[in-house]
Amino acid sequence: MAIITISRGSYSMGKAVAEQVAACLGYTVISRDLLLDASTRFHVSEIKLIRAIHDAPGILERLSHSRQAYLAYIRAALTERVRDGNVVYHGLAGHLLLKGIPGVLKVRITADLERRVENEMQREGISAQEARDIILKDDNQRRGWTKSLHGVDPWDSNLYDLVVRIGALTVADAVSFICEAARSEGFRTTDKSLQPVKDLALACRIKAELVEEFPTVGVTCQYGNVIVYTREKGTGGSRLHKRIEALSKEIQGVFNLEVHSSENFPADAV
Amino acid sequence: MPIIIISSEDPAVEEQIAARTAKAVGFQTLGPEVLPAIAAKHAIPEPKLAESLGRTATPWWRRQAKGRQLSLACVEAEVLDRLAPDNIVCWGLGAHLYVLGISHALKARLLPDPARQIEALAGQRGVSPQKAGKLLEGARLKRAQWAQAAFGQNEMDPSMYDLIINLGQIDPDEAVGTLTTAVGYRKFQPMTYSISSLADLALAAKVKAKLLRTMNDIRVQARDGKVVVTSKALQRERRKKTAAIKSLAGEVPGVNYVEVHLINYVIRAAAESFR
Repeated sequence: MAIITISRGSYSMGKAVAEQVAACLGYTVISRDLLLDASTRFHVSEIKLIRAIHDAPGILERLSHSRQAYLAYIRAALTERVRDGNVVYHGLAGHLLLKGIPGVLKVRITADLERRVENEMQREGISAQEARDIILKDDNQRRGWTKSLHGVDPWDSNLYDLVVRIGALTVADAVSFICEAARSEGFRTTDKSLQPVKDLALACRIKAELVEEFPTVGVTCQYGNVIVYTREKGTGGSRLHKRIEALSKEIQGVFNLEVHSSENFPADAV
Repeated sequence: MPIIIISSEDPAVEEQIAARTAKAVGFQTLGPEVLPAIAAKHAIPEPKLAESLGRTATPWWRRQAKGRQLSLACVEAEVLDRLAPDNIVCWGLGAHLYVLGISHALKARLLPDPARQIEALAGQRGVSPQKAGKLLEGARLKRAQWAQAAFGQNEMDPSMYDLIINLGQIDPDEAVGTLTTAVGYRKFQPMTYSISSLADLALAAKVKAKLLRTMNDIRVQARDGKVVVTSKALQRERRKKTAAIKSLAGEVPGVNYVEVHLINYVIRAAAESFR
């Protein structure tokens, strides 16, 4: 059973598509409730997490590590929720937060600007101009956020497996295409294919635990063997060492935990 | 019945999926095999015609070449004419860039598997995968520039397509299945309005191809046999150019009325005032 991420612009009917796909396949839907999870688990206010994942970072924020920490919390919460498969995630940047996991069906739902304006006008009871301004501002924020943090444009179709434009094609058509793709061989999950998800979830959890004190560390995990990469010489200082020893006892599923000192982290390091 | 327009940065993918989709739904294919007939009809050398669709040159070079504009206009006019009978899967003729606003045309873009593309190019050119990746990225950028210069469209814009399928993870068989399912939907069935919109596009393209033989900077719109031509002219040339446009456009079968809008040729007027 697959993991499906649905990326969408505001008022593009992506939420409706996600909910109907989940209902059709009997999957769990994850969206903003994920932020509540992260907020409770890592004791950060939800509003800070929302800003971290929605707004493009300002100049000062780019210099500080707070946003990195919030994203690490969100990613840890998301990977924890998707580790067993059978989920549809339609929050922000799912395709990027779950990057590196094979077999994730990445979908983008688009709609004509005029249709989106119409949807927003109906829902919010505002004028066409106001609705257009809000949508364009929101689109720019999301583009800015993704470009600044991941260096890619969310409008780039190459990031997705399937892009469906709601217009001539309806929400029901999109749902049917997505369900058909999710049932295909390429997206069928097995214990073997879920292993990288479990490893990523573990790496993200450890990164989230370390990020506040050690914002620049990188973490990889393979079959429960965790390596924490640091740019400090030796094993990264006694403070990091002690923290890691404690974590290896605290977190379930860690088979072995090591610290490596290296200038260049592996590309898949969290 | 509908029209399916398939586009991809990889012509082999376009051809393969178009042929398989056409077979699955029992449609005809329309591809680059029509270029010799178009070349013969419009007395344009075939290599020149193929080159205009080659998608390699810079936009500035494209814009400057009147001959290439004419070649593209001839291809556009002939393709639009051939799409009128419906039940067609069109590929390799840039139709996704000029078949606009036709509700019974399903536009699909197929993204080839990047890993396979890189591997194939690296093997073919004997370069590293990194270098092959950069070459592919460069080629993609040039194609986007070509689409912008030739038809004023951003081919990378996802809103241009009804469906975009990435063959990196989705099997070609499944892509064909998705296209055949989608084309069966009621919204892609031809209606009186969409058929007449396609006929209008074809008429406008024919008039444009006719006018580009003798003049530059031509834009044409058509509706139910009425044609509006927009161009540029110096003040003193206006009457002569209007008459020429009316006469030439009037020769195209299906044109009932011609309206000409001439914009003042500011740059040429300024250049001539210094003489």
